[in-house]
Amino acid sequence: MFIAPNLIAVAVFMAFPLVFTLYLSLHRWDLFSSPTFIGFDNFRRLFAHDPLFWVALRNTVIFTAGTLIPTIVIGLVVAAALNRKLKGIGIFRSIMFMPLVASTVAMAVVWRLTFSTDYGVLNTALGWIGIGPVPWLTDPAWSMFSLCLVSVWKSVPFATIVLLAAMQGIPADVYEAARIDGAGAGRRFRSITVPLIRPALVFSFVITFINSFQVFDQAYVLTGGKGGPETGTYVLGIMLYQNAFSFDDIGYACALAWVIFAILLVLTLLQLRLTRGDAYESEA
Amino acid sequence: MATATANRAVLRRTGRGMLLYLALVVMAWCALFPLLWALSSSLKKQGNISDTSIVPAHLAWSNYRDIFDLMPFGRIFFNTVLYAGCVTAGQVFFCSLAGYAFARLPFKGRDVLFVAYLATLMVPTTVTVIPQFILLRPFGWVDSPLAMIVPGLFGSAFGTYLMRQFFITLPVELEEAAILDGCSIWQTYWRVLLPHARPAVMVLAVLTWVMVWNDFLWPLVMIQRDEISTLTLGLVRLQGQYETNWPILMATSILMVAPMLVIYAFAQKSFVRGIAMSGMGGR
Repeated sequence: MFIAPNLIAVAVFMAFPLVFTLYLSLHRWDLFSSPTFIGFDNFRRLFAHDPLFWVALRNTVIFTAGTLIPTIVIGLVVAAALNRKLKGIGIFRSIMFMPLVASTVAMAVVWRLTFSTDYGVLNTALGWIGIGPVPWLTDPAWSMFSLCLVSVWKSVPFATIVLLAAMQGIPADVYEAARIDGAGAGRRFRSITVPLIRPALVFSFVITFINSFQVFDQAYVLTGGKGGPETGTYVLGIMLYQNAFSFDDIGYACALAWVIFAILLVLTLLQLRLTRGDAYESEA
Repeated sequence: MATATANRAVLRRTGRGMLLYLALVVMAWCALFPLLWALSSSLKKQGNISDTSIVPAHLAWSNYRDIFDLMPFGRIFFNTVLYAGCVTAGQVFFCSLAGYAFARLPFKGRDVLFVAYLATLMVPTTVTVIPQFILLRPFGWVDSPLAMIVPGLFGSAFGTYLMRQFFITLPVELEEAAILDGCSIWQTYWRVLLPHARPAVMVLAVLTWVMVWNDFLWPLVMIQRDEISTLTLGLVRLQGQYETNWPILMATSILMVAPMLVIYAFAQKSFVRGIAMSGMGGR
């Protein structure tokens, strides 16, 4: 009785869609006529006849790698810096977590201004040190770089929070013992901090991976919703949105949705399995 | 001799301290810069947008007034508050109820059901957005405020999970005492447990509010009319219309981000705790 409303909502808005999407992925449907059953044609079309799918997949993989790795590395460095008992460290923490609450859409609009080729502050600053104007959003390769930059800015605080919380859980006497044994700061970080915060590393890695793989907001806003210039930022999220809501090709979009879901599921399970295997090895 | 070594050690330590502060300042600057730049550019004249000074010589406050001429900003702001408020209230109420049941009330199939809940957390938004859209169409809710409120109103799997994890940590004696005093299950929940769950409620409320406020894909899919639009959608449409009117775009961004920064300032702890648990901030 206490659960009923919540249960119905979760079933209707989370569980049912999963099945319904699979059903629709086997049909051709434009939202208005009645759906026609076409078997696995949508999937065949996706893998064999739509070069854009492979472009989108490639771009999404590049984007995910280009966001995930810097996010975790920078997050680790920032967390290590924030994990000190210094005067005013609270203020630094507050400032560095701020990007979390800032709307991705609003900040993508702001970044677009700083990226502007002619009057953006980034190119002006680079001009001072003699570097010519960078085509941040007008060149396909650079636009992917810019998209990653915006996403890293937005997701570093999350990784930092998770990693910092784990670092704070390490008892101080472990470090003390290592110091007495003559381990330097770098050695202590590598041999104590990193292994001990491993679960947090895995958690932030997996979550950032899942979120990056589904990137949409910043890609839509930075490049006008089309994944341009050319196909520079054409990622799977944009492709899904276009097929479903611009082309009304619902069946095809649902097939794509399931492919994204399957890729995410397999890769996430693989990551969890791999890291668990590592943990067993280091214990043995 | 001994003092010289000690002095050198102190010097080295302060040197390292200075270096650490320098690193922290650089990091904080990187995190803060886009926000500062938005604020600064929102006060420049359109012709001066390439000016690189952080504090413009002439503060053009009129940009903030001009927003209201270009879009129904007050209305859109109000809509966003309304949607976020309704969804947040609904989430807190229904998730805490369900979380309480999962934590304390024994019923058949409870644990299986809870695992099923956790499994739905794995389902990405990309998969659910199309069927949710189709689902709401026959109700005539597409392009209506209900589309923004109802799907989130009855709670989510994540919120229920969060509340359950918290209720489990409360001592059972609390309820036993309440029941001895003659409280019904409902009264026990409402009068005794919920007040004790304030920290968890805060976490859930702050997270939900910020999430609805910043959500973009769902309003983009559901909403056409400007009168019922949200801030994210309004800003993107403004950008489509006035692509190079940067000061106005920056001012709108600031007005959109500022309320969240205020919430953050007051509820930083709850927010940070929630982010660490949910993984929501990775986007």
